[in-house]
Amino acid sequence: MTRPAEVKIREGATPGTRFEEFEVGAQTPEARFTITPAIIDEYIRAVEGDEKLYAVDGRRAAPPDVLCVYMTSTLYQKYPPIQGMIMCEVAFNYHHPIWRDEDTEVRMSGVITEKVVKKGRQFVKWKGRYVRADGTLLAEVENTVAVPE
Amino acid sequence: MAHDSKSPLQHEVEMSQEKIDRYGKLNGDWDILHYDHDYCLARGFRGTLAHGMHNMAPAVDLALEKYGKDFYYGGRIEVRWTGPVCPGDVQRTTLDAAGNVHAQVGNTPGAGAVMVGKAVLRGKA
Repeated sequence: MTRPAEVKIREGATPGTRFEEFEVGAQTPEARFTITPAIIDEYIRAVEGDEKLYAVDGRRAAPPDVLCVYMTSTLYQKYPPIQGMIMCEVAFNYHHPIWRDEDTEVRMSGVITEKVVKKGRQFVKWKGRYVRADGTLLAEVENTVAVPE
Repeated sequence: MAHDSKSPLQHEVEMSQEKIDRYGKLNGDWDILHYDHDYCLARGFRGTLAHGMHNMAPAVDLALEKYGKDFYYGGRIEVRWTGPVCPGDVQRTTLDAAGNVHAQVGNTPGAGAVMVGKAVLRGKA
């Protein structure tokens, strides 16, 4: 089992990354983590998920958004979070279920795609890929965060 | 089984600091915006903020209800957060027949839309 805190640097643990330090085109290091049935159970409790929805052809699956709690693992390895950073937009493409009856080893990588200053606010956009250890693509994510001054 | 109706799907949930803390414990963050009430007031918010991804979870559930297992293999959800959900707020999320996602706080004066977006099957949007 990998709890998200084991692969994500927490706000306040380091000075955090200022807007000017983000580099467009920079690859973020691969993060590796294992999603277990226990993690999935905890996630469903946390979001008060509807259990009857989480099955594919009779096999129990995780809600696909369980990947959210690991999302910034790759980003924060290169760009630790600064206090007050705000999530603005996100998009997930789901490609394959995460099964609830087994441990799933995931490798996640990312790249910074854009930096924008708009109406005095600083935005960083990046995208990531979640790949199962056997090479199966689980999901892709695109995320925009507002970085405080 | 996928939902076949043309009617929008709806979900309603009340947020609390306990729920924010529970999500945060799993999420593994120390983002002050989720835990420090006074800091949030000083920044102009009504209180602490629920995690945006937490606010998105009902929309994913509605998408699973609408599209069934196809959403696991070919689903796309994209959202933009437009306002906060704070403890005591009731978040009402809808997913309409065209795949439009909308969430708002329905019970708190001064609060309104919190999230907009789409949940669709790729290639069929």
